[in-house]
Amino acid sequence: MRTVNHAAGLRTRSRAATGTIAWHAVLLGVILAMTFPVLWGILTSFKPANEIYSLTPLSAHPTLEHYVHAITVWPVGLLLSNTFVMAAGVVIGQVIIAILGAFALAYFSPRYRGVVLTLLTISLAIPPQALIIPQFLMTAKLGWLNTEAGLIVPQLGSSALAVLLLLQHVDGLPRSLLNAARLDGARPFEVLWNIVLPALRPAIAAVSILVFITSWNDYLWPLLVAPRQIDTTVQIGLRQFETAEGTNFGGLLAAATLTSLPILIVYLVASRRITDAFLQSGLK
Amino acid sequence: MTIVTSSIAGTVADSARDRRRRPGRAWPYVTPVLLLLFMWIYGPALFTGVLSFLEWNLTGDVGGFVGFDNYARLFREPEFGQAAGQTLLYAAALLPFSTIVPMFLAIMLWQKSGRASTVYRSLLFLPVMVAPVAAAVSWRFILNPLQGLANEIIGFVGLPPMNWLGDPRSALIVIVLVTAAKVTAFNMLLYSAALTALDRRTLEAARLESATAWETTRFIVIPQLHKTTVLLGILSIVLAGQWVFTNVSVLTQGGPDGVTDNVYYRIYTLGFEFFETGMASAAAAIVLLFFALAGLIWVLLRRISAHR
Repeated sequence: MRTVNHAAGLRTRSRAATGTIAWHAVLLGVILAMTFPVLWGILTSFKPANEIYSLTPLSAHPTLEHYVHAITVWPVGLLLSNTFVMAAGVVIGQVIIAILGAFALAYFSPRYRGVVLTLLTISLAIPPQALIIPQFLMTAKLGWLNTEAGLIVPQLGSSALAVLLLLQHVDGLPRSLLNAARLDGARPFEVLWNIVLPALRPAIAAVSILVFITSWNDYLWPLLVAPRQIDTTVQIGLRQFETAEGTNFGGLLAAATLTSLPILIVYLVASRRITDAFLQSGLK
Repeated sequence: MTIVTSSIAGTVADSARDRRRRPGRAWPYVTPVLLLLFMWIYGPALFTGVLSFLEWNLTGDVGGFVGFDNYARLFREPEFGQAAGQTLLYAAALLPFSTIVPMFLAIMLWQKSGRASTVYRSLLFLPVMVAPVAAAVSWRFILNPLQGLANEIIGFVGLPPMNWLGDPRSALIVIVLVTAAKVTAFNMLLYSAALTALDRRTLEAARLESATAWETTRFIVIPQLHKTTVLLGILSIVLAGQWVFTNVSVLTQGGPDGVTDNVYYRIYTLGFEFFETGMASAAAAIVLLFFALAGLIWVLLRRISAHR
Protein backbone atom coordinates (compact mmCIF):
# COMPACT_ATOMS: atom_id res chain seq x y z
CA MET A 1 0.00 0.00 0.00
CA ARG A 2 2.67 2.38 0.98
CA THR A 3 4.77 1.80 -2.11
CA VAL A 4 1.77 2.38 -4.36
CA ASN A 5 1.13 5.75 -2.73
CA HIS A 6 4.76 6.60 -3.04
CA ALA A 7 4.78 5.76 -6.74
CA ALA A 8 1.66 7.83 -7.32
CA GLY A 9 3.25 10.73 -5.47
CA LEU A 10 6.35 10.51 -7.59
CA ARG A 11 4.29 10.44 -10.73
CA THR A 12 2.34 13.55 -9.76
CA ARG A 13 5.53 15.31 -8.77
CA SER A 14 7.25 14.53 -12.03
CA ARG A 15 4.14 15.54 -13.93
CA ALA A 16 4.12 18.83 -12.04
CA ALA A 17 7.78 19.36 -12.97
CA THR A 18 7.09 18.77 -16.67
CA GLY A 19 4.16 21.13 -16.31
CA THR A 20 6.38 23.85 -14.89
CA ILE A 21 8.93 23.40 -17.66
CA ALA A 22 6.20 23.58 -20.29
CA TRP A 23 4.80 26.67 -18.56
CA HIS A 24 8.15 28.45 -18.73
CA ALA A 25 8.78 27.28 -22.29
CA VAL A 26 5.46 28.57 -23.62
CA LEU A 27 5.70 31.93 -21.89
CA LEU A 28 9.33 32.48 -22.82
CA GLY A 29 8.47 31.55 -26.41
CA VAL A 30 5.63 34.07 -26.54
CA ILE A 31 7.73 36.78 -24.90
CA LEU A 32 10.54 36.17 -27.37
CA ALA A 33 8.14 36.27 -30.32
CA MET A 34 6.58 39.49 -29.10
CA THR A 35 9.72 41.38 -28.16
CA PHE A 36 12.25 39.87 -30.53
CA PRO A 37 11.96 42.37 -33.42
CA VAL A 38 12.54 45.36 -31.18
CA LEU A 39 15.26 43.57 -29.21
CA TRP A 40 17.03 42.65 -32.45
CA GLY A 41 16.79 46.26 -33.59
CA ILE A 42 18.33 47.52 -30.36
CA LEU A 43 21.16 44.96 -30.51
CA THR A 44 21.83 45.84 -34.14
CA SER A 45 22.10 49.54 -33.36
CA PHE A 46 25.35 48.77 -31.51
CA LYS A 47 26.93 46.81 -34.35
CA PRO A 48 29.53 48.45 -36.58
CA ALA A 49 28.30 49.18 -40.12
CA ASN A 50 30.06 46.22 -41.74
CA GLU A 51 28.47 43.76 -39.32
CA ILE A 52 24.96 45.10 -39.45
CA TYR A 53 23.53 42.07 -41.24
CA SER A 54 25.53 39.58 -39.18
CA LEU A 55 23.46 36.89 -37.54
CA THR A 56 25.31 36.95 -34.23
CA PRO A 57 23.21 38.95 -31.77
CA LEU A 58 26.13 40.60 -29.99
CA SER A 59 28.95 42.15 -31.92
CA ALA A 60 32.54 41.58 -30.83
CA HIS A 61 33.17 45.24 -31.56
CA PRO A 62 30.18 47.15 -30.20
CA THR A 63 30.11 50.77 -31.28
CA LEU A 64 28.16 53.96 -30.71
CA GLU A 65 28.84 55.26 -34.22
CA HIS A 66 25.18 55.02 -35.27
CA TYR A 67 24.12 57.01 -32.23
CA VAL A 68 26.69 59.67 -33.00
CA HIS A 69 25.40 59.76 -36.56
CA ALA A 70 21.76 59.93 -35.46
CA ILE A 71 22.41 62.78 -33.05
CA THR A 72 24.86 64.84 -35.12
CA VAL A 73 23.57 64.37 -38.66
CA TRP A 74 19.84 64.13 -37.91
CA PRO A 75 18.14 66.53 -35.52
CA VAL A 76 17.25 63.68 -33.14
CA GLY A 77 18.04 65.70 -30.01
CA LEU A 78 15.74 68.48 -31.16
CA LEU A 79 12.99 66.01 -32.06
CA LEU A 80 13.22 64.37 -28.65
CA SER A 81 12.88 67.72 -26.95
CA ASN A 82 9.92 68.65 -29.21
CA THR A 83 8.25 65.37 -28.32
CA PHE A 84 8.88 65.94 -24.66
CA VAL A 85 7.39 69.44 -24.81
CA MET A 86 4.32 68.10 -26.61
CA ALA A 87 3.79 65.16 -24.26
CA ALA A 88 4.36 67.31 -21.17
CA GLY A 89 2.01 69.98 -22.52
CA VAL A 90 -0.74 67.44 -23.18
CA VAL A 91 -0.25 65.90 -19.73
CA ILE A 92 -0.41 69.24 -17.91
CA GLY A 93 -3.40 70.43 -19.92
CA GLN A 94 -5.39 67.22 -19.70
CA VAL A 95 -4.68 66.67 -16.02
CA ILE A 96 -5.69 70.21 -15.04
CA ILE A 97 -8.96 70.14 -16.94
CA ALA A 98 -9.62 66.58 -15.75
CA ILE A 99 -9.11 67.54 -12.10
CA LEU A 100 -11.48 70.48 -12.45
CA GLY A 101 -14.05 68.44 -14.38
CA ALA A 102 -13.93 65.40 -12.12
CA PHE A 103 -14.17 67.58 -9.02
CA ALA A 104 -17.19 69.43 -10.39
CA LEU A 105 -19.03 66.24 -11.33
CA ALA A 106 -18.29 64.49 -8.05
CA TYR A 107 -18.53 67.33 -5.56
CA PHE A 108 -21.53 69.24 -6.88
CA SER A 109 -23.21 66.25 -8.57
CA PRO A 110 -24.91 68.66 -10.96
CA ARG A 111 -28.22 67.65 -12.50
CA TYR A 112 -26.58 67.34 -15.92
CA ARG A 113 -23.94 64.92 -14.59
CA GLY A 114 -25.39 62.01 -16.55
CA VAL A 115 -25.36 64.00 -19.79
CA VAL A 116 -21.74 65.03 -19.32
CA LEU A 117 -20.72 61.45 -18.55
CA THR A 118 -22.45 60.21 -21.68
CA LEU A 119 -20.77 62.88 -23.80
CA LEU A 120 -17.38 61.95 -22.36
CA THR A 121 -17.92 58.23 -22.87
CA ILE A 122 -19.08 58.59 -26.48
CA SER A 123 -16.05 60.74 -27.26
CA LEU A 124 -13.83 57.79 -26.28
CA ALA A 125 -15.41 55.66 -28.98
CA ILE A 126 -15.21 58.15 -31.87
CA PRO A 127 -12.37 57.08 -34.18
CA PRO A 128 -9.80 59.90 -34.36
CA GLN A 129 -9.30 59.35 -38.09
CA ALA A 130 -12.90 60.38 -38.74
CA LEU A 131 -12.23 63.84 -37.29
CA ILE A 132 -8.85 64.68 -38.80
CA ILE A 133 -10.06 66.86 -41.65
CA PRO A 134 -11.98 69.47 -39.63
CA GLN A 135 -9.43 69.29 -36.80
CA PHE A 136 -6.66 69.98 -39.30
CA LEU A 137 -8.58 72.85 -40.88
CA MET A 138 -9.23 74.46 -37.50
CA THR A 139 -5.60 74.12 -36.49
CA ALA A 140 -4.52 75.65 -39.79
CA LYS A 141 -7.02 78.52 -39.45
CA LEU A 142 -5.65 79.27 -35.98
CA GLY A 143 -2.18 79.50 -37.53
CA TRP A 144 -0.94 76.62 -35.39
CA LEU A 145 0.55 74.34 -38.03
CA ASN A 146 4.12 73.37 -37.10
CA THR A 147 3.79 74.91 -33.65
CA GLU A 148 3.62 73.50 -30.15
CA ALA A 149 0.11 74.89 -29.71
CA GLY A 150 -1.03 72.90 -32.72
CA LEU A 151 0.49 69.73 -31.32
CA ILE A 152 -0.93 70.24 -27.84
CA VAL A 153 -4.24 72.12 -27.74
CA PRO A 154 -6.34 69.94 -30.11
CA GLN A 155 -5.34 66.89 -28.07
CA LEU A 156 -6.90 68.45 -24.97
CA GLY A 157 -10.29 67.65 -26.48
CA SER A 158 -9.56 63.99 -25.82
CA SER A 159 -9.32 64.24 -22.05
CA ALA A 160 -12.43 62.15 -21.47
CA LEU A 161 -10.41 59.21 -20.23
CA ALA A 162 -8.46 61.33 -17.74
CA VAL A 163 -11.72 62.86 -16.45
CA LEU A 164 -13.45 59.50 -16.02
CA LEU A 165 -10.47 57.92 -14.29
CA LEU A 166 -10.07 60.79 -11.85
CA LEU A 167 -13.82 60.94 -11.30
CA GLN A 168 -13.74 57.35 -10.02
CA HIS A 169 -11.21 58.43 -7.43
CA VAL A 170 -13.02 61.59 -6.34
CA ASP A 171 -16.25 59.60 -6.11
CA GLY A 172 -14.38 57.10 -3.98
CA LEU A 173 -13.33 59.65 -1.39
CA PRO A 174 -15.21 59.29 1.91
CA ARG A 175 -18.17 61.60 1.94
CA SER A 176 -17.59 62.72 5.49
CA LEU A 177 -14.23 64.15 4.44
CA LEU A 178 -15.78 66.50 1.91
CA ASN A 179 -18.81 67.36 4.05
CA ALA A 180 -16.74 68.21 7.09
CA ALA A 181 -14.75 70.74 5.12
CA ARG A 182 -17.89 72.28 3.74
CA LEU A 183 -19.43 72.56 7.21
CA ASP A 184 -16.26 74.29 8.34
CA GLY A 185 -17.13 76.95 5.80
CA ALA A 186 -14.55 76.04 3.18
CA ARG A 187 -15.30 77.27 -0.30
CA PRO A 188 -15.39 74.71 -3.12
CA PHE A 189 -11.98 75.72 -4.42
CA GLU A 190 -10.50 75.30 -0.93
CA VAL A 191 -12.00 71.83 -0.70
CA LEU A 192 -10.45 70.99 -4.06
CA TRP A 193 -7.07 72.43 -3.17
CA ASN A 194 -6.72 71.33 0.44
CA ILE A 195 -8.54 68.01 0.51
CA VAL A 196 -9.21 66.51 -2.90
CA LEU A 197 -5.84 67.25 -4.51
CA PRO A 198 -3.66 65.75 -1.76
CA ALA A 199 -5.89 62.67 -1.58
CA LEU A 200 -5.77 62.24 -5.33
CA ARG A 201 -2.01 62.48 -5.73
CA PRO A 202 -1.38 58.79 -6.60
CA ALA A 203 -4.27 58.74 -9.05
CA ILE A 204 -3.01 61.92 -10.71
CA ALA A 205 0.45 60.40 -11.04
CA ALA A 206 -0.99 57.29 -12.68
CA VAL A 207 -3.14 59.27 -15.10
CA SER A 208 -0.19 61.54 -15.96
CA ILE A 209 2.00 58.56 -16.83
CA LEU A 210 -0.76 57.07 -18.96
CA VAL A 211 -1.34 60.29 -20.88
CA PHE A 212 2.39 60.88 -21.27
CA ILE A 213 2.99 57.47 -22.84
CA THR A 214 -0.02 57.75 -25.15
CA SER A 215 1.00 61.22 -26.22
CA TRP A 216 4.70 60.36 -26.67
CA ASN A 217 3.81 57.44 -28.93
CA ASP A 218 1.13 59.34 -30.85
CA TYR A 219 1.62 59.24 -34.58
CA LEU A 220 -1.38 60.48 -36.54
CA TRP A 221 -1.80 63.98 -35.13
CA PRO A 222 1.88 65.07 -35.33
CA LEU A 223 1.97 63.62 -38.85
CA LEU A 224 -0.83 65.99 -39.86
CA VAL A 225 0.00 69.23 -38.11
CA ALA A 226 3.79 69.12 -37.93
CA PRO A 227 5.04 67.33 -41.03
CA ARG A 228 8.23 69.40 -41.30
CA GLN A 229 11.39 67.72 -40.09
CA ILE A 230 12.53 70.35 -37.62
CA ASP A 231 9.47 71.10 -35.53
CA THR A 232 7.89 67.68 -35.40
CA THR A 233 8.07 64.80 -32.95
CA VAL A 234 10.47 61.82 -32.98
CA GLN A 235 7.79 59.52 -34.35
CA ILE A 236 7.38 61.60 -37.50
CA GLY A 237 11.07 62.50 -37.72
CA LEU A 238 11.94 58.82 -37.68
CA ARG A 239 9.56 58.18 -40.53
CA GLN A 240 11.20 60.91 -42.57
CA PHE A 241 14.71 59.54 -42.02
CA GLU A 242 13.34 56.23 -43.09
CA THR A 243 12.18 57.50 -46.43
CA ALA A 244 15.19 59.77 -46.90
CA GLU A 245 17.88 57.29 -45.91
CA GLY A 246 16.06 54.03 -46.46
CA THR A 247 19.23 51.94 -46.43
CA ASN A 248 21.04 53.47 -43.45
CA PHE A 249 19.60 50.97 -41.01
CA GLY A 250 22.30 51.54 -38.37
CA GLY A 251 21.36 55.17 -37.89
CA LEU A 252 17.65 54.41 -38.15
CA LEU A 253 17.79 51.71 -35.50
CA ALA A 254 19.84 53.95 -33.20
CA ALA A 255 17.28 56.72 -33.64
CA ALA A 256 14.45 54.24 -33.08
CA THR A 257 16.09 53.06 -29.86
CA LEU A 258 16.42 56.66 -28.69
CA THR A 259 12.74 57.19 -29.52
CA SER A 260 11.63 54.43 -27.19
CA LEU A 261 14.24 55.03 -24.51
CA PRO A 262 12.37 57.63 -22.42
CA ILE A 263 9.26 55.41 -22.23
CA LEU A 264 11.31 52.31 -21.44
CA ILE A 265 13.11 54.14 -18.63
CA VAL A 266 9.79 55.33 -17.21
CA TYR A 267 8.55 51.74 -17.47
CA LEU A 268 11.56 50.28 -15.69
CA VAL A 269 11.19 52.77 -12.87
CA ALA A 270 7.43 52.55 -12.47
CA SER A 271 6.28 49.39 -14.21
CA ARG A 272 3.90 48.51 -11.41
CA ARG A 273 2.22 51.87 -11.41
CA ILE A 274 1.99 51.88 -15.21
CA THR A 275 0.34 48.49 -15.49
CA ASP A 276 -2.06 49.57 -12.75
CA ALA A 277 -2.89 52.76 -14.61
CA PHE A 278 -3.53 50.87 -17.83
CA LEU A 279 -5.63 48.36 -15.94
CA GLN A 280 -7.85 51.07 -14.51
CA SER A 281 -8.20 52.64 -17.91
CA GLY A 282 -9.68 49.52 -19.37
CA LEU A 283 -11.84 47.99 -16.70
CA LYS A 284 -13.66 48.56 -13.46
CA MET B 1 -5.67 54.66 -26.12
CA THR B 2 -8.91 54.15 -27.86
CA ILE B 3 -8.86 50.56 -26.68
CA VAL B 4 -10.29 51.95 -23.53
CA THR B 5 -13.86 51.24 -22.91
CA SER B 6 -17.17 52.60 -22.02
CA SER B 7 -17.84 50.40 -19.04
CA ILE B 8 -16.34 53.03 -16.78
CA ALA B 9 -19.20 55.46 -17.16
CA GLY B 10 -21.75 52.92 -16.02
CA THR B 11 -20.05 52.33 -12.69
CA VAL B 12 -19.45 56.01 -12.17
CA ALA B 13 -23.09 56.82 -12.81
CA ASP B 14 -24.22 54.20 -10.28
CA SER B 15 -22.12 55.58 -7.48
CA ALA B 16 -23.65 59.00 -8.06
CA ARG B 17 -27.18 57.91 -7.37
CA ASP B 18 -26.93 58.16 -3.61
CA ARG B 19 -24.89 61.31 -3.72
CA ARG B 20 -26.42 64.49 -2.37
CA ARG B 21 -25.93 67.66 -4.34
CA ARG B 22 -23.74 70.21 -2.69
CA PRO B 23 -24.35 73.95 -2.87
CA GLY B 24 -22.18 76.00 -5.19
CA ARG B 25 -21.69 76.45 -8.86
CA ALA B 26 -20.25 73.58 -10.84
CA TRP B 27 -19.96 75.35 -14.18
CA PRO B 28 -16.65 77.16 -13.63
CA TYR B 29 -15.05 73.74 -13.13
CA VAL B 30 -16.79 71.83 -15.94
CA THR B 31 -16.58 74.54 -18.58
CA PRO B 32 -12.97 73.84 -19.68
CA VAL B 33 -13.54 70.16 -20.32
CA LEU B 34 -16.87 70.72 -22.10
CA LEU B 35 -15.52 73.60 -24.17
CA LEU B 36 -12.57 71.55 -25.41
CA LEU B 37 -14.77 68.52 -25.97
CA PHE B 38 -17.16 70.45 -28.21
CA MET B 39 -14.43 72.41 -29.93
CA TRP B 40 -12.23 69.43 -30.84
CA ILE B 41 -14.49 66.37 -30.89
CA TYR B 42 -18.21 67.07 -31.34
CA GLY B 43 -17.76 70.23 -33.39
CA PRO B 44 -15.45 68.48 -35.86
CA ALA B 45 -17.83 65.50 -36.03
CA LEU B 46 -20.63 67.81 -37.23
CA PHE B 47 -18.20 69.74 -39.44
CA THR B 48 -17.23 66.45 -41.13
CA GLY B 49 -20.85 65.92 -42.11
CA VAL B 50 -21.09 69.45 -43.54
CA LEU B 51 -17.82 69.12 -45.48
CA SER B 52 -19.02 65.88 -47.04
CA PHE B 53 -21.62 67.85 -49.01
CA LEU B 54 -19.17 70.48 -50.27
CA GLU B 55 -16.81 70.52 -53.18
CA TRP B 56 -13.33 71.46 -51.99
CA ASN B 57 -9.66 70.51 -52.29
CA LEU B 58 -8.27 71.79 -48.96
CA THR B 59 -6.64 74.86 -50.55
CA GLY B 60 -8.32 78.01 -51.78
CA ASP B 61 -11.98 78.79 -51.26
CA VAL B 62 -14.61 76.32 -50.24
CA GLY B 63 -16.59 75.25 -53.27
CA GLY B 64 -20.34 75.03 -53.45
CA PHE B 65 -22.89 72.56 -52.21
CA VAL B 66 -22.79 69.39 -54.27
CA GLY B 67 -25.35 67.24 -52.50
CA PHE B 68 -24.45 63.57 -52.38
CA ASP B 69 -21.87 63.91 -55.16
CA ASN B 70 -18.94 63.09 -52.89
CA TYR B 71 -20.68 59.98 -51.64
CA ALA B 72 -21.51 58.88 -55.18
CA ARG B 73 -17.90 59.37 -56.29
CA LEU B 74 -16.65 57.53 -53.22
CA PHE B 75 -18.79 54.51 -53.95
CA ARG B 76 -17.87 54.54 -57.60
CA GLU B 77 -14.14 54.18 -56.96
CA PRO B 78 -13.17 50.54 -56.38
CA GLU B 79 -10.54 51.48 -53.75
CA PHE B 80 -13.14 52.45 -51.18
CA GLY B 81 -15.00 49.19 -51.47
CA GLN B 82 -11.73 47.32 -51.16
CA ALA B 83 -10.72 49.41 -48.12
CA ALA B 84 -14.06 48.71 -46.46
CA GLY B 85 -13.67 44.98 -47.06
CA GLN B 86 -10.10 45.04 -45.75
CA THR B 87 -11.32 46.74 -42.58
CA LEU B 88 -13.53 43.71 -41.89
CA LEU B 89 -10.65 41.38 -42.75
CA TYR B 90 -8.46 43.11 -40.14
CA ALA B 91 -11.27 42.73 -37.61
CA ALA B 92 -11.50 39.00 -38.26
CA ALA B 93 -7.73 38.49 -38.27
CA LEU B 94 -7.13 40.40 -35.04
CA LEU B 95 -10.01 38.83 -33.12
CA PRO B 96 -8.08 35.78 -31.81
CA PHE B 97 -5.21 38.04 -30.75
CA SER B 98 -7.54 40.22 -28.74
CA THR B 99 -9.42 37.39 -27.03
CA ILE B 100 -8.13 33.79 -27.09
CA VAL B 101 -4.37 34.38 -27.04
CA PRO B 102 -4.32 36.99 -24.27
CA MET B 103 -6.84 34.96 -22.27
CA PHE B 104 -4.64 31.89 -22.23
CA LEU B 105 -1.54 33.94 -21.44
CA ALA B 106 -3.33 35.61 -18.55
CA ILE B 107 -4.59 32.28 -17.22
CA MET B 108 -1.09 30.80 -17.41
CA LEU B 109 0.37 33.73 -15.51
CA TRP B 110 -2.42 33.56 -12.97
CA GLN B 111 -2.05 29.83 -12.27
CA LYS B 112 1.42 30.35 -10.88
CA SER B 113 2.01 33.23 -8.55
CA GLY B 114 5.38 34.56 -7.57
CA ARG B 115 8.33 36.29 -9.06
CA ALA B 116 8.45 34.56 -12.45
CA SER B 117 4.82 35.49 -13.10
CA THR B 118 5.41 39.14 -12.28
CA VAL B 119 8.54 39.34 -14.42
CA TYR B 120 6.83 37.62 -17.36
CA ARG B 121 3.84 39.93 -17.09
CA SER B 122 6.06 43.03 -17.24
CA LEU B 123 7.92 41.64 -20.25
CA LEU B 124 4.72 40.68 -22.03
CA PHE B 125 3.42 44.19 -21.58
CA LEU B 126 6.49 45.77 -23.22
CA PRO B 127 5.02 45.85 -26.77
CA VAL B 128 2.45 48.37 -25.51
CA MET B 129 5.25 50.69 -24.41
CA VAL B 130 7.46 50.69 -27.50
CA ALA B 131 6.73 53.52 -29.93
CA PRO B 132 4.95 52.05 -32.94
CA VAL B 133 7.25 53.79 -35.39
CA ALA B 134 10.34 52.44 -33.61
CA ALA B 135 8.92 48.91 -33.72
CA ALA B 136 8.08 49.35 -37.39
CA VAL B 137 11.67 50.39 -38.17
CA SER B 138 12.95 47.20 -36.53
CA TRP B 139 10.48 45.14 -38.53
CA ARG B 140 11.51 46.85 -41.73
CA PHE B 141 15.12 45.99 -41.00
CA ILE B 142 14.33 42.34 -40.28
CA LEU B 143 12.05 42.01 -43.30
CA ASN B 144 14.16 43.91 -45.82
CA PRO B 145 14.41 41.86 -49.00
CA LEU B 146 18.17 42.17 -49.54
CA GLN B 147 19.86 40.80 -46.42
CA GLY B 148 17.09 40.85 -43.85
CA LEU B 149 17.06 38.36 -41.01
CA ALA B 150 13.67 36.96 -42.07
CA ASN B 151 15.05 35.94 -45.46
CA GLU B 152 18.23 34.53 -43.91
CA ILE B 153 16.07 32.36 -41.66
CA ILE B 154 13.83 31.01 -44.41
CA GLY B 155 17.01 30.56 -46.45
CA PHE B 156 18.21 27.98 -43.89
CA VAL B 157 15.15 25.91 -44.65
CA GLY B 158 15.90 26.27 -48.35
CA LEU B 159 13.11 28.72 -49.21
CA PRO B 160 13.75 31.51 -51.70
CA PRO B 161 13.96 35.10 -50.33
CA MET B 162 10.69 37.04 -50.14
CA ASN B 163 9.78 40.67 -50.55
CA TRP B 164 7.75 40.55 -47.35
CA LEU B 165 6.17 44.00 -47.45
CA GLY B 166 5.93 44.22 -51.23
CA ASP B 167 4.26 40.88 -51.74
CA PRO B 168 0.45 40.89 -51.44
CA ARG B 169 0.56 37.40 -49.92
CA SER B 170 2.68 38.42 -46.93
CA ALA B 171 2.12 42.19 -46.47
CA LEU B 172 -1.27 41.83 -44.80
CA ILE B 173 -0.04 39.05 -42.53
CA VAL B 174 2.91 41.20 -41.44
CA ILE B 175 0.64 44.15 -40.58
CA VAL B 176 -1.68 41.88 -38.61
CA LEU B 177 1.14 40.22 -36.65
CA VAL B 178 2.89 43.50 -35.82
CA THR B 179 -0.38 44.92 -34.52
CA ALA B 180 -1.28 41.65 -32.80
CA ALA B 181 1.73 41.88 -30.46
CA LYS B 182 0.43 45.14 -29.05
CA VAL B 183 -3.21 44.10 -28.80
CA THR B 184 -2.30 40.80 -27.14
CA ALA B 185 -0.08 42.54 -24.63
CA PHE B 186 -2.73 45.05 -23.69
CA ASN B 187 -5.63 42.63 -23.43
CA MET B 188 -3.53 40.14 -21.47
CA LEU B 189 -3.41 42.75 -18.75
CA LEU B 190 -7.17 43.28 -18.88
CA TYR B 191 -7.75 39.54 -18.55
CA SER B 192 -5.33 39.46 -15.62
CA ALA B 193 -7.46 42.10 -13.91
CA ALA B 194 -10.60 40.07 -14.53
CA LEU B 195 -8.89 36.97 -13.10
CA THR B 196 -8.04 38.66 -9.84
CA ALA B 197 -11.76 39.22 -9.34
CA LEU B 198 -12.56 35.55 -9.96
CA ASP B 199 -14.65 33.65 -7.44
CA ARG B 200 -12.15 31.52 -5.55
CA ARG B 201 -14.74 29.33 -3.82
CA THR B 202 -15.87 27.70 -7.04
CA LEU B 203 -12.25 26.87 -7.77
CA GLU B 204 -11.77 25.32 -4.34
CA ALA B 205 -14.92 23.26 -4.83
CA ALA B 206 -13.62 22.06 -8.18
CA ARG B 207 -10.31 21.07 -6.63
CA LEU B 208 -12.10 19.08 -3.95
CA GLU B 209 -14.04 17.31 -6.67
CA SER B 210 -10.57 16.46 -8.04
CA ALA B 211 -11.05 18.24 -11.34
CA THR B 212 -7.93 18.43 -13.48
CA ALA B 213 -6.27 21.75 -14.20
CA TRP B 214 -7.63 21.69 -17.73
CA GLU B 215 -11.16 20.90 -16.56
CA THR B 216 -11.06 23.77 -14.08
CA THR B 217 -9.85 26.12 -16.77
CA ARG B 218 -12.29 24.95 -19.37
CA PHE B 219 -15.43 24.73 -17.26
CA ILE B 220 -14.90 27.30 -14.53
CA VAL B 221 -12.27 29.91 -15.37
CA ILE B 222 -13.08 30.59 -19.02
CA PRO B 223 -16.86 30.86 -18.46
CA GLN B 224 -16.24 33.35 -15.66
CA LEU B 225 -14.19 35.49 -18.04
CA HIS B 226 -17.11 35.57 -20.44
CA LYS B 227 -17.98 39.25 -19.85
CA THR B 228 -14.41 40.39 -20.50
CA THR B 229 -14.21 38.22 -23.60
CA VAL B 230 -17.42 39.62 -25.08
CA LEU B 231 -16.36 43.20 -24.36
CA LEU B 232 -12.86 42.78 -25.78
CA GLY B 233 -14.22 40.90 -28.78
CA ILE B 234 -16.67 43.67 -29.64
CA LEU B 235 -14.00 46.33 -29.12
CA SER B 236 -11.62 44.41 -31.33
CA ILE B 237 -14.12 44.06 -34.15
CA VAL B 238 -14.98 47.74 -34.00
CA LEU B 239 -11.48 49.13 -33.51
CA ALA B 240 -9.18 46.74 -35.42
CA GLY B 241 -9.03 48.97 -38.49
CA GLN B 242 -8.00 51.86 -36.29
CA TRP B 243 -5.31 49.89 -34.45
CA VAL B 244 -3.44 48.99 -37.64
CA PHE B 245 -3.29 52.60 -38.84
CA THR B 246 0.26 53.46 -37.76
CA ASN B 247 1.69 50.18 -38.97
CA VAL B 248 -0.03 50.51 -42.35
CA SER B 249 1.22 54.08 -42.66
CA VAL B 250 4.82 53.26 -41.74
CA LEU B 251 5.23 49.80 -43.27
CA THR B 252 3.15 49.59 -46.45
CA GLN B 253 1.21 52.84 -47.09
CA GLY B 254 -1.77 50.66 -47.91
CA GLY B 255 0.06 48.73 -50.66
CA PRO B 256 0.87 46.53 -52.46
CA ASP B 257 -2.21 46.98 -54.68
CA GLY B 258 -4.22 48.17 -51.71
CA VAL B 259 -4.17 44.83 -49.89
CA THR B 260 -3.24 46.47 -46.58
CA ASP B 261 -5.50 49.49 -47.02
CA ASN B 262 -8.54 50.10 -44.82
CA VAL B 263 -11.20 52.73 -44.29
CA TYR B 264 -9.20 54.80 -41.80
CA TYR B 265 -6.10 54.87 -43.93
CA ARG B 266 -8.28 55.68 -46.95
CA ILE B 267 -9.69 58.75 -45.17
CA TYR B 268 -6.13 59.90 -44.58
CA THR B 269 -4.91 59.33 -48.15
CA LEU B 270 -8.02 60.87 -49.71
CA GLY B 271 -7.75 63.95 -47.52
CA PHE B 272 -4.03 64.54 -47.26
CA GLU B 273 -2.51 62.94 -50.33
CA PHE B 274 -5.16 63.47 -53.01
CA PHE B 275 -6.62 66.59 -51.33
CA GLU B 276 -10.13 65.27 -52.00
CA THR B 277 -11.55 66.94 -48.92
CA GLY B 278 -15.15 66.24 -49.90
CA MET B 279 -14.63 62.54 -50.54
CA ALA B 280 -12.50 62.09 -47.43
CA SER B 281 -15.21 63.79 -45.36
CA ALA B 282 -17.85 61.57 -46.93
CA ALA B 283 -15.84 58.49 -45.96
CA ALA B 284 -15.37 59.87 -42.44
CA ALA B 285 -19.07 60.67 -42.19
CA ILE B 286 -19.92 57.08 -43.14
CA VAL B 287 -17.59 55.83 -40.40
CA LEU B 288 -19.20 58.18 -37.86
CA LEU B 289 -22.68 57.08 -38.91
CA PHE B 290 -21.64 53.46 -38.58
CA PHE B 291 -20.37 54.11 -35.05
CA ALA B 292 -23.52 56.00 -34.10
CA LEU B 293 -25.63 53.11 -35.39
CA ALA B 294 -23.50 50.49 -33.65
CA GLY B 295 -23.73 52.47 -30.42
CA LEU B 296 -27.50 52.73 -30.72
CA ILE B 297 -27.85 48.98 -31.28
CA TRP B 298 -25.56 48.33 -28.31
CA VAL B 299 -27.69 50.54 -26.05
CA LEU B 300 -30.92 48.94 -27.27
CA LEU B 301 -29.58 45.42 -26.77
CA ARG B 302 -28.53 46.30 -23.24
CA ARG B 303 -31.98 47.74 -22.54
CA ILE B 304 -33.64 44.57 -23.79
CA SER B 305 -31.36 42.22 -21.86
CA ALA B 306 -31.81 44.34 -18.72
CA HIS B 307 -35.60 44.07 -18.94
CA ARG B 308 -35.63 40.32 -19.36
